[in-house]
Amino acid sequence: MSWMVGSLRGLIGSMDGFLAQHTRDVKVGNGSDYFASGCIHELHEISNARSLQSQQIMRHTRIISLLLSLGCWGMAANERLAVNDHKAPENRQDLEMIQNAVRTSLPKARAATVCIEIKGGSGSGVIVSPDGLVLTAAHVATGVKQKVTVVLEDGKRLKAETLGLVADRDAAMVRITEKGTYPFVEIDREASTQLGDWVFALGHSGGFDQERGSVVRLGRLVRIADSTFQSDCMVIGGDSGGPLFNLAGNLIAIHSRVGAQMQVNMHVPTAVFMDYWDKMLAAEFIGEGPYAERPVKGNGFLGLATDARPKGGLSVTKVGHGSPAEVAGIRERDVLLKLNQVQLETREQMQDLLKEMSAGDEIILETERGGKPKTFTFNLGER
Amino acid sequence: MNANRIWVIAFAGLIGTVQGQQSLESSYRTTGNAVVAAFEAQRQVLQHSSAVILDGRKETGYGVVISADGYILTKASELPKSGDLAVTVDQTNYHEVKVFAEDLVWDVALLKIDSKDLIPVDYAPTSDVLQGTWVVANGVTSRTTRRLLAGIVSAKSREIPASGGAALGVILKVKSKVPQVEAVQQKSGAEEAGLQKDDVILSVDGKRIEKVTELNDALKDGKVGNLVHLLLRRKGEEVSVDVRLAARAELFTDQMDRNDQMSGDFSTRRSGFPRVLQHDILGSRTVQGGPLLDLDGRCIGMNIARANRSESFAIPVEELKGLAERLMKQAKP
Repeated sequence: MSWMVGSLRGLIGSMDGFLAQHTRDVKVGNGSDYFASGCIHELHEISNARSLQSQQIMRHTRIISLLLSLGCWGMAANERLAVNDHKAPENRQDLEMIQNAVRTSLPKARAATVCIEIKGGSGSGVIVSPDGLVLTAAHVATGVKQKVTVVLEDGKRLKAETLGLVADRDAAMVRITEKGTYPFVEIDREASTQLGDWVFALGHSGGFDQERGSVVRLGRLVRIADSTFQSDCMVIGGDSGGPLFNLAGNLIAIHSRVGAQMQVNMHVPTAVFMDYWDKMLAAEFIGEGPYAERPVKGNGFLGLATDARPKGGLSVTKVGHGSPAEVAGIRERDVLLKLNQVQLETREQMQDLLKEMSAGDEIILETERGGKPKTFTFNLGER
Repeated sequence: MNANRIWVIAFAGLIGTVQGQQSLESSYRTTGNAVVAAFEAQRQVLQHSSAVILDGRKETGYGVVISADGYILTKASELPKSGDLAVTVDQTNYHEVKVFAEDLVWDVALLKIDSKDLIPVDYAPTSDVLQGTWVVANGVTSRTTRRLLAGIVSAKSREIPASGGAALGVILKVKSKVPQVEAVQQKSGAEEAGLQKDDVILSVDGKRIEKVTELNDALKDGKVGNLVHLLLRRKGEEVSVDVRLAARAELFTDQMDRNDQMSGDFSTRRSGFPRVLQHDILGSRTVQGGPLLDLDGRCIGMNIARANRSESFAIPVEELKGLAERLMKQAKP
């Protein structure tokens, strides 16, 4: 019992935004609402109780089963395979230990690994809560509150939105906005990772491929610095934002960047995410570059010239060659009625609306062509 | 391999020294000597049942020893063209090497050396193993000793369609409405079949072609390594030829995408395989063709392509056994 209490205390002691999140999940699973605030107290009761009435026994049985499951979970997070403490695998038994750990951890890890599609490109990410919170890289998210599509391993496509990011650390969060219960992985919150540990990477290398699935790669942690892990799991374009796991299948880092040499693969440790957890949840843009650029108001580019019409709306007089408007399919003589649901009346008014927007922002233009309504949804280019 | 999409990845900026960082000695990294030493039993198998394919003294690939009497399978497109082909098995060098049948679909050639007592590979019962399973392959060799690289099975086994679709290897005239050849790409099926500038393609496998789009449709579902029968009009006369299909993106390689740029020395022929077993061994184009072994030292496949930084392909053992039988039959009917 004591190790259980110990691990639980440790858990409560280090509770931050993330753990609160996780604890809530446990509560929901148990159908009760008192766990987070009451658990230490209840534990105290259990250890001191001499005679319990049947009602209390029932109540405590429920708590114990809950704690047991938590205990196991705590153990999984702490579990370090012996092979990690060998400088190199010494025999077949060591090799099989690595192999079995990867095989066992893989199904759950794979189910939580997603492809993130954004603005014609794609990266990867990993779900860390049953309600669809996803960790990824800042250079995949590119900005806050951007609409993206999350693709699960089975090909299911889900609407999602980027939350906050840390621009100088390459960390970002995405939230699946469709209601559901999603497969997720645990974060290694003990920061138990050590140099030389065996790790495996998952990600949608080169983009989503249903026939193939996400690709797993095995390697070791070969360099540890404050805000970066380096492994020799070879990652490539499309893997960015994907997860790096320890052998227990707990998330330890997110893929960020590579060197020209195959063995140079850099990942952002989950500790960086922990440091900024609440701000990221609140969709804040944190830090300055190089992995994401803060949006600049008024640098959005549409590529249209218009004239106001007496009957209301703006008539398109010219469409710039190769402009976002042309690519979206807008033509001369189309009539623009609404921009992001605001009725259009004058050119100046439309320019004022655009001045408040930035490159990459989504624009919804409701138009009329030959009397028929037509809606265009696309992203502004950069001026 | 969708070539049309833009992949998101950041290149490392500064990977200089950071204060307080710890670094693992190279010997203990996944490809390091200390780690590789744990696979000595599998290395022994590579020592006697894999062949080093040489162009003079330069290694160009590896081979799978499939019979005691000297038959070896290797990757066809990496065979030396110079005529200075040599083979090393264990520590013996063979300079008399015959190239028998080739299978263009799988890109496999059957070689024969003069020997009676080689140790052929022991085939694994199946390639259908769990992802995460260890596999071992040839790494760059020293003159007498095979070295190895280890990795894991890393994705679902599947077909790898022709990258960019199947193609003949011709550039068509832009202004012509009918498909008329402007230029013939080097090392293509079209070049081998002797296609010439100004040839007009009249039909593909008996199907009449009148427009360029119809030619594209006729080739769309073609498989790499298969032959198509063309009827041509050349200087007023009709000529018929058989042309080997290849992957468009592998014929016209002037544009490397970003992922290719970070993939080092990948295989030229890396798509258009009916089925592959995927693994994550850090290979290169010059270490293909050898056996892929499991921890029991059994041959679970044959390495056929280093596709990119994170993907390596092997012919699964089921197909490999069929291929070996078929090519052996062609060699000694």
